[in-house]
Amino acid sequence: MPTGEYLLEVRSEEIPTRMLEPGVKELATRLFEELMARGLGPRQVETGYTPRRLVLSLSGLPEKEPDREEQVLGPPVRAAYNKDGEPTPAFHGFAKKCGLPPEALRKVSTEKGEYLGATVKTEGRPTREILAELVPKLLSEISWAKTMRWSSLLGGVGDVGPWVRPIHGIVSLFDGAVVPFALFGVTAGDETVGHPVLSPESFQVTGAAHYRRELAARGIEVRPAERRRSLLAGMEERAAAAGGTLVEDGALLDKLVAICEIPGVMEGGFDERFLDLPAEILQTSLRDHQSALTVEKDGKLLPRFLTVMDRPDDPAGRVRSGNEWVVAARLADAKFFFGEDQKVGLALRAEQLQNLTFQDKLGSYKDKSERMSRLVQYLCKLLGGTVDATVAARAAGLLKADLPTEMVKEFTSLQGIMGGLYARLEGEPEEVWQAIYDQYLPASTEDSIPRGEVGRVVSLGDRIDTLVGIFGLGLIPTGSRDPFGLRRAAQGVVRILLEGDLPLDVEAAVIEAVKLYGDRLSRTPEQVLADLWPFLADRIRHVLGLKGYAYDEIEAGLAVKMIDLPDLKKRVAALHQARTGADFLSVVLAAKRIANIVKDAPAGKVDPELLVEQAEKDLYAVHNRARREVVVLADDYEECLAEIAKLAPELDRFFVEVLVMDKDPAIKSNRIALLQAIGETVSRTARLTEMVVDRTEHRANVGAMAEAGGAI
Amino acid sequence: MQTFQDLILRLSEFWAGQGCVLQQPYDLEVGAGTMHPDTFLRVLGPEPWRVAYVQPSRRPADGRYGDNPFRLGKHHQLQVILKPAPADIQRLYIRSLEAIGLDLSVHDLRFEEDNWEAPTLGAWGVGWQVMLDGMEITQFTYFQQAGGLELSPISAEITYGLERLTMFIGLAKSIYDIAWVDGVRYGEVRHQDEVESSRYYFEVADVAFYQQLFAGMEREARRCLDAGLVLPAYECALKCSHAFNVLDARGAISVTERVGLMKRVRDLAVACAKAYVASREALGFPLLKGTAGTPASPANPAGTEVAHAHG
Repeated sequence: MPTGEYLLEVRSEEIPTRMLEPGVKELATRLFEELMARGLGPRQVETGYTPRRLVLSLSGLPEKEPDREEQVLGPPVRAAYNKDGEPTPAFHGFAKKCGLPPEALRKVSTEKGEYLGATVKTEGRPTREILAELVPKLLSEISWAKTMRWSSLLGGVGDVGPWVRPIHGIVSLFDGAVVPFALFGVTAGDETVGHPVLSPESFQVTGAAHYRRELAARGIEVRPAERRRSLLAGMEERAAAAGGTLVEDGALLDKLVAICEIPGVMEGGFDERFLDLPAEILQTSLRDHQSALTVEKDGKLLPRFLTVMDRPDDPAGRVRSGNEWVVAARLADAKFFFGEDQKVGLALRAEQLQNLTFQDKLGSYKDKSERMSRLVQYLCKLLGGTVDATVAARAAGLLKADLPTEMVKEFTSLQGIMGGLYARLEGEPEEVWQAIYDQYLPASTEDSIPRGEVGRVVSLGDRIDTLVGIFGLGLIPTGSRDPFGLRRAAQGVVRILLEGDLPLDVEAAVIEAVKLYGDRLSRTPEQVLADLWPFLADRIRHVLGLKGYAYDEIEAGLAVKMIDLPDLKKRVAALHQARTGADFLSVVLAAKRIANIVKDAPAGKVDPELLVEQAEKDLYAVHNRARREVVVLADDYEECLAEIAKLAPELDRFFVEVLVMDKDPAIKSNRIALLQAIGETVSRTARLTEMVVDRTEHRANVGAMAEAGGAI
Repeated sequence: MQTFQDLILRLSEFWAGQGCVLQQPYDLEVGAGTMHPDTFLRVLGPEPWRVAYVQPSRRPADGRYGDNPFRLGKHHQLQVILKPAPADIQRLYIRSLEAIGLDLSVHDLRFEEDNWEAPTLGAWGVGWQVMLDGMEITQFTYFQQAGGLELSPISAEITYGLERLTMFIGLAKSIYDIAWVDGVRYGEVRHQDEVESSRYYFEVADVAFYQQLFAGMEREARRCLDAGLVLPAYECALKCSHAFNVLDARGAISVTERVGLMKRVRDLAVACAKAYVASREALGFPLLKGTAGTPASPANPAGTEVAHAHG
């Protein structure tokens, strides 16, 4: 019985793990959209993959496209018949084009006169035909991150591709019958194979359920979520059996899921003597070299590791002994590096930094270290002496000393961490080694900022030095080109200042950083600031946006003179709070109106004697009060905005009752001066004109009063 | 127990059975089997080619004075080129592992993405590192470009790391312990070489001399190219590449110099590649005979068992 099921399996040589999921998703999405556009929406779309297979199964597809009826206009009636009323060649041409007999044509009246018309019925095409066209096209169009060409199956005839890897077989079945097509010399059919070593014989499949059953019988699972579940459960079980718990690593687990089609758990052990190594090293070595997870007990690692094997079992114990052999060799290397590095010591490594180029024109990492030491002392001063400048300078001097270590050369992902560990072993104070350890935080959105104040200041110093140096050479990141990772550096600066609540004068810090570069830079401090500020502002928008503030709130905050980042955040937060109040929204609308009125007017001063109407006298009075309050309240922005909201009734009344553009120029300028003063007062916390207000909603809130009179 | 020598013999025999020319190691210092002209130059142009050979590969900076049980300044690769790559090349590769005595039904074999790139050769390819029980035993690459030229047909390159593979099969604790042949250990054959080469490349090699050698060989390569001598020019380019590696091991190349020197080697490699294709074209692509006139019929795809006719 037809169920409208389509099964597609594309077998290829091993597709890179990182490309599998995006590839199959893109294929499924595009096929779904194309089918929907033809009225062929499936009820269900399921996807799956292994390194060697992309799998798609659709169900509930109609048998064919819906039939269509289309009204078609032909030639004008006067051209369709000759003088004698006989059909002309134009008449017959139209009939032929429509594929209809002459009697099926009729006259249609339109605005332009009478035309020949016809109803053309198109029978929907069978779904299988459409699939046979669509699937190979969409398959060949998947946008792989990297593609290749290969020699076609016919060998030497020519190369085919580009695609991610050579294709070996295609199963394409609609309700059990092959939907034929060919792609890169491979013809679609109903045969597939099992695991290349364990079950390489080919077999026929009849549909999705049968396909899954046959693969399951060979231990193969095409659904990555199932493989993940099975691997995780297996690993947790093994970890528990060893008396510990699995140290979770979601990203690594995803990679393992994508690397196998049979999710076998591989458990191995290593010599306890390697447990002398810091956990960071063990985990990195096991993760980077062996794609293995670790097991811990009471916060300490057990001498075990867990990874995947693309087979269900290890009958000869050979997979395990092989993995253990490799791990032992790797850990022996790591232990050797760890020992050698300690013999050398960080002080000597810091000296070796003179041979390591930071940037051609900006000198070595030794130069950078010296600049950073001076810069962080200045930052400590700017921050008002809450952070010990000597300690910060010490940390800054050793910050990059781990770059020439053997361990970091082997595992770049351990940079910073190694420096911190070595500094701790050398007896550096906690603040110093932690600052070194945490220096690259936050590296991602999930990361927190460095844990200590010294660490925060030192991290800032490092990033500001880099940003200023590269911007100082005019090498500003554009589009996706950001070789120095400046976006991440800037984002780090913003997050550390905001989350660390550090009231740093960024402008002063930048100017000092430029100065410390001496004559290495090609730009002046002003030029650097002019380029750097919009770059930082973009990061601020991004970070505050992630914290839940609306775009217009952030813009309004950024539009007033920046004191420091925590202050900016307070303004934006106050705005976020205040905007729900109806009075506040009235003031926002008034502010926009005021901005329009005063935009080209010269600055003036209010003369109370020239105030005529009661409404303007009242507004003058409440504004005077508000202005005083706002000054007194200073950085209590929520209260400031509350004060400003109190202006709403008088402002609204003013606009209803008073005509700003009075015939008397003196009265007119006086009114404009009053509005200018109010405009300044209401935008002390944030520039209210940047706020976006839904006027209809607002009108419902505050009633018709404000809108009733157009005073201008 | 599988010896180092067994591995060489069995792999050679296997690939000879696939119609490969069993070539000998190149008699110049090279960093990898890819630099052998029977790979680097033969993958260019339309002519079919199958070759296998052992290539001692020198990486002066990797030397460890014979102290490190896993690292060598000179190791041996078994290099295979199949051009064009047959459709069942992976299957063939798996059979080659069985040929050296591996029972894959008890091992875990995986192909993990590893794209190969050799900037000094203007070459790159797409492929995998082949992992056996978590150990990388082979580099498997579909060449896409060499000497800056797009390749067609596409060649497959299979490179076995012979020491590693032997070690891994026997789960040996040190390279120097593996048997080269029964009764003779690898260390007995090579240890002195590793110790002395490390000392030479790290401590003794005359920097000024190698700098002159680089410059001189570069000039010589250009002279050869001008004289229409492609293979001698390429040999000079290989000499430059080795001089570069020696200078690097001596720590005599600064970061800024490195880029410039690498570009000079690449320029030579690219010039040699172009000249090679032109020279083969002038000869009428001799190896095309036997394939050009009789293209493989669809009924009999250019199969693995069908040995290619080589002139």
